[in-house]
Amino acid sequence: MGVFLRIAARNIMLARRRTALLGGALALVTMLLVLLLALSAGLSDTIVRSATTLSAGHVNVSGWHKLTSRDAAPIVMDAQKIRAIVEAETPGLDYTIVRHRGWAKVVSEATSLNAGLVGINYAEEGRLMAQLQLAPTSEYKDGGDDTKVGDFSEIARPGTAILFAGQARRLEVGVGDVLTLSTETSDGQSNTGEVRVVAVAKDMGMLSNWSIFVPTQTILDIYQLKPDTAGAIMVYLKDIDRASETMDTLRDVFMRHGYGVMDHNPVPFFMKFESVAGEDWTGQKIDLTIWSDEVSFLQWVVTAVDTISFVLITVLLIIIGVGIMNTMWIAVRERTGEVGTLRAIGMSRRRVLLMFLLEALLLGFFATVVGAGLGAAIGLAVDAAAIHVPVAAVQAILMTDVLHLQVQLTDVLAAIAVFTVVTALSALAPALRAARLEPVTAIHHIG
Amino acid sequence: MPAVVEVRGVEKDYPLGKLTVRALRGVDLTIDAGEFVSIAGPSGSGKTTLLNLIGCVDVPTQGSVSVDGQATSSLDDNGLTNLRLHKLGFIFQTFNLIGVLDVFQNVEFPLLLQGGMDKAARRARVEAIVDAVGLTPQLRQRPNELSGGQRQRVAIARALVTGPRIVLADEPTANLDSQTGANIIDLMKELNAKDGTTFIFSTHDAEVMRHANRVIRLADGLIVDDGRGAPRAEVPAPASPA
Ligand SMILES: Nc1ncnc2c1ncn2[C@@H]1O[C@H](COP(=O)(O)OP(=O)(O)OP(=O)(O)O)[C@@H](O)[C@H]1O
Ligand SMILES: [Mg+2]
Repeated sequence: MGVFLRIAARNIMLARRRTALLGGALALVTMLLVLLLALSAGLSDTIVRSATTLSAGHVNVSGWHKLTSRDAAPIVMDAQKIRAIVEAETPGLDYTIVRHRGWAKVVSEATSLNAGLVGINYAEEGRLMAQLQLAPTSEYKDGGDDTKVGDFSEIARPGTAILFAGQARRLEVGVGDVLTLSTETSDGQSNTGEVRVVAVAKDMGMLSNWSIFVPTQTILDIYQLKPDTAGAIMVYLKDIDRASETMDTLRDVFMRHGYGVMDHNPVPFFMKFESVAGEDWTGQKIDLTIWSDEVSFLQWVVTAVDTISFVLITVLLIIIGVGIMNTMWIAVRERTGEVGTLRAIGMSRRRVLLMFLLEALLLGFFATVVGAGLGAAIGLAVDAAAIHVPVAAVQAILMTDVLHLQVQLTDVLAAIAVFTVVTALSALAPALRAARLEPVTAIHHIG
Repeated sequence: MPAVVEVRGVEKDYPLGKLTVRALRGVDLTIDAGEFVSIAGPSGSGKTTLLNLIGCVDVPTQGSVSVDGQATSSLDDNGLTNLRLHKLGFIFQTFNLIGVLDVFQNVEFPLLLQGGMDKAARRARVEAIVDAVGLTPQLRQRPNELSGGQRQRVAIARALVTGPRIVLADEPTANLDSQTGANIIDLMKELNAKDGTTFIFSTHDAEVMRHANRVIRLADGLIVDDGRGAPRAEVPAPASPA
């Protein structure tokens, strides 16, 4: 094998210009693939991070309560008891938190908008507080500047609210302003309450458009709920990858405890109002979801990035494949005499085939290793540099205002493997042709 | 001496558009082990064709060729390849060395194809044969750093390194000046005398032919003189060397 490797390597180096062109192109496309994969992984990572802080636990134990068969309230009754069951029987549990859910018209002096209300207990929300950042006033106020005002911890007080910058801008409010929340209770009564804005957080992409945070008590008051209720018990696991199986485990647990458990419907709770209202039962049922269900409406972003990447890479790969094939055709023609000689002195067809394949593989392997290495280095550098994304629409899609690329070793290795295989496949036809050369015609082909 | 090559009733036709070129038209020939044979004849008489058939790089249209007792018609491509690898050595008019390998590696190559020899044994074998052709100082040079005569010596070493029964050489001196050509033939003859390897070479050059123990003459696809029993003196000397 050593001598075949040497022949392949020498031939690659002899055809320097061709090697540089083809290898360079191959390396570039590999680099691009690695970067796109890193972008996609970074995006998924951002979605996971913001989803599991803003909207969902790894697993969510929520529920629906129906006083009559025609209504639907996203409420878990007897929340303490259910939380106790979860904490006792969830394998691999890290911790749980309880949130309340609502939907309200948010009215400022200037205007109003509809938003989800998330009722939180400040003491439990370390994870959220670690993610939220105070927005400079320039992000939500005309004539604002870099100063950051407000204090997230004040959400521990009754009658307070945390907004995101985009919402504050639309409502034309800032820290200290008062908002009126107006909502309908499940029996159709209208209720209002007042909250004071204690902090405005930087936007976290699309997810931060939907909800504002208020203390749990505010939701209990507006909806006139009993204290021992919850919107959802958000379950955080030591390993997020076990979310799905943990959800299945909890389903069995609750059934065993005699609770009604709804069939798994992988959409966010706010898309279930109508379907639950149409179901013919009353009382309490438990609804289990995992984090990705609650942000399934964001999945299209990842899918779009992946699809664009796939199409782009496929097209480039085809172009490169044709380039490799063409190069190998030329190589086979140029070396017909050599093949004839080798066949005459006793090289088998199989070995001729392998010799040409090895040459393509070697070129492909080195080019893709270099390209993947470059791509990984650039990806890591860009991520570390935390480059600011200037366009708001792109920020919304990427769900962050700094570019986040996540270079994963498996992606890098996969890129190398796939491209090397493509190289070998492209070289197959010319190599087969070389192997089929008759020694006698080949020897007398003097080139 | 046992026969190493037996050619019986061999015809070879080449299709040439709608015509057929009859390159060999019924050739019978026996060559014994250890012979040093030249195939002579005018251009187009079929010398290359005959060598290709004996060398198992081509198959006859009619008749049979057997090499070292093995009928070549019974072998498939793999069988023929193995026969070439183990029983035959080739020397080409245009040397046909592998440009990217140095002298040592070129000579070593057939041993690698054969396999089954450890590195030290291979090394010893290659160095011995390279020494025999007088190229030890050039062991690590590439073909393009060698003269034509040196390249042909490398080719001879490569042909002999496996210890073949027969070495075939189609006009091995045609690309060399006459002095170098004579030296090459002398070297071949010396190796023939030493190990008893059978050499069959074709040539146009009457001077080169003189060195042969036996000259087979072809004309128009037929053997006009198989060189057996014919006294060497009858071979006419050329009016002027080629
Ligand atoms: N591949 C081929 N296709 C068609 N005709 C061929 C082919 N090879 C040889 N011939 C013809 O067969 C005949 C014998 O050719 P061959 O090459 O054996 O002659 P030669 O004695 O080696 O000639 P030279 O001394 O010129 O090398 C010639 O007429 C030649 O044109
Ligand atoms: Mg010829």
